[in-house]
Amino acid sequence: MELVASSLFDLVSDVIRDTKGIGGWLSIAPDSSVGLFIPEILLCGTILAMLVLRLFRLGEKLDMFYVALIGVGAALLVLSPWRLSENAELFARRELFTGLLVYDGFSVFIRGLLLGFGVLFLVFAKISGIPSRYDSADIYTLVLGATLGLCIMSAANHLLVVFMGVEMASVPSYALAGMQKRDRKASEAALKFAVYGAGAAGIMLYGISLLAGLFHTVHLPTLAAQISTMLPQMETPELMVAALAGLMIMAGLAYKLSAFPFHYWIPDVFEGAPAEVGAFLSIASKAAALALLVRVVVGMGTLPDSSETAARDSVVARARQDNPATPADLLAQAPPAQSTMYVRHDEEHAAAETEDHPREDHATPGESDSATSATTDGLETARTFMAKLIALIAIVTCTFGNLAAYGQKNIKRMLAYSTIAHAGFMMMAVPALLAVADSHPQVAASAVSGIAIYLVIYLFMNLGAFAIVAFLRNEMGSEQIDDYAGLLKCCPGITLCFVVILFSLIGLPPLAGFIAKFAVLASVADAFRLSGHPYLMGVLVVGVLNTAISLIYYLRVARVMTMLPEPESRVPISLPLFSVAGWYVLAMTIPVAFLIVNWGSLHRTATAAVAHLLGS
Amino acid sequence: MAGLLATITVSHYLAVGAFFFVTGVLCMATKRNALGVLMGIELVLNGANLNFIAFGSQYLREETLGLDGQLIALFVIILAAAEAAVALAIALSFYNAHSTIDVDQGDELKG
Repeated sequence: MELVASSLFDLVSDVIRDTKGIGGWLSIAPDSSVGLFIPEILLCGTILAMLVLRLFRLGEKLDMFYVALIGVGAALLVLSPWRLSENAELFARRELFTGLLVYDGFSVFIRGLLLGFGVLFLVFAKISGIPSRYDSADIYTLVLGATLGLCIMSAANHLLVVFMGVEMASVPSYALAGMQKRDRKASEAALKFAVYGAGAAGIMLYGISLLAGLFHTVHLPTLAAQISTMLPQMETPELMVAALAGLMIMAGLAYKLSAFPFHYWIPDVFEGAPAEVGAFLSIASKAAALALLVRVVVGMGTLPDSSETAARDSVVARARQDNPATPADLLAQAPPAQSTMYVRHDEEHAAAETEDHPREDHATPGESDSATSATTDGLETARTFMAKLIALIAIVTCTFGNLAAYGQKNIKRMLAYSTIAHAGFMMMAVPALLAVADSHPQVAASAVSGIAIYLVIYLFMNLGAFAIVAFLRNEMGSEQIDDYAGLLKCCPGITLCFVVILFSLIGLPPLAGFIAKFAVLASVADAFRLSGHPYLMGVLVVGVLNTAISLIYYLRVARVMTMLPEPESRVPISLPLFSVAGWYVLAMTIPVAFLIVNWGSLHRTATAAVAHLLGS
Repeated sequence: MAGLLATITVSHYLAVGAFFFVTGVLCMATKRNALGVLMGIELVLNGANLNFIAFGSQYLREETLGLDGQLIALFVIILAAAEAAVALAIALSFYNAHSTIDVDQGDELKG
């Protein structure tokens, strides 16, 4: 009894040390879990402050916009992602909170992107005035809550956190979509969003439970170690359960990414909800979902460098391996949580428990593959399965989004399909990453840096586009493409900015969109050259073809705005470039137009961000 | 009698969980009432939860998920409650605008 008690004490102090670092009771070490989690804690504090301040008379007079802006700005300052290009060694991979979250350059980059977007978004919402002053505290609370969830998604290292991040980001988004009360379309959009979203999350959770049962762990690096040893010895029914679980998790991720079979909510939500919400969902939500996809495939597909993680041993990973009733044994375990521990579990583990649930067969290209090549390394099998599945989804998503955007009359619906197409395009780098993750980690890292570059450029392009749509809606009360006819006459500055942004969304050379597409396609081409997988060639060809397809519908909007005559019935509108709204649009357009001058610094930052992602 | 004395294994729990999951998915796919759809979602989440608890139990098999199983189940219960609250509020706002919660009536936006 004595022994157990002292061990329990050790266990608790171990957890405390892991959480706040060594030091006095009130001091928090800057490199401890809590110390690296301060941006998220600041977001939580801002949310609480906004909710509590309204209770007092002083708070009623206060504009919550400033509270929210200060909170997000402070979080961004604490995170300071601009240090990435100076010293990448500060951002070595490190597990937080006993392995639940991971802190590395990539998570800093994506969280910096999300928080930076948060600042820009708050300013945008303030200028366009969509949350009325009375509602603004609610809306900003929801936006900050969703941002918090997105930050957690981008740092997930554990399947529970994957699910929690998705839910924490989704639930406030459902409410945001329905923020215009008594509006028929908004309430319909919110209901569809909530029902589909909750359904997809439920399916993903079931997939996680199957995977957890098969491999006895939910910690992603440990899962990779388990897959590499256990997958080759699995029987066909078990392999089918594993493939089914992978498909189910992919369904949940594809929903957040608005990838092909789960894309149908995006156009409805974008049309029903205000353009501001569309901007939030199409940029922040996509960025975090892509980061999560990268986290999951890297986590499940590659073994982490054990020397790096050994420094910060994971209590959870140890607790999992031993009988949880005896903490003494648990503490006696050797710290490194990685592959060395699994050697003793090599013996065939009774297959009887994992009964195959007879359900309809999902015929996917990877499934037959995972059954036949089971004798090779298990991780290679898992990687091939994921790469082929994601390549297929990316190809279909990109093509479908571009084709469906063609016939749209509402500009927000068109931007919704354009969002789907861009999500597909960004996903194309993921199969490239998986194909060379083992053989050429440098090339694999450059695929992720391609995604990171794409996300930054996409932020400016789409925020600019949605800002113009929102400002034009405020002026003329319409979001139909046909009503934009002849805008060149009455507001030339804004029209030119919109045309630049549309050309950049296509990916025409001097503009930023070209750099983005080039970065992704170059990494796919590199991966194809090195690995020779034919499906990468397919991805490459489809990517180039889609750029050509997208030309048509973006140019149609540009043509309507510049070449068609102005309808006579329209009330005169004024949206000069030299107004607050105009300056905002200009601030979004300038990076899009002139990034090519100085794109090296973005490239350096993105490269530094992914330096430690693959443990190389 | 032999059937009654048989040991309960993980498979039994998994079968019940799979039943919940399939029922929930069917419910989501076929119900026209928004509340029915939400109930289907709860069933799916609880089916997954049952799996987690069974995989985490040390009495059912030797190599387990450990405490993670139970902890995930706890987190999922809380998240499901939060999600249900928001979804019910949205269903209410849908009712205010449409005077019905029949999901088929929401057909103004063509996905």
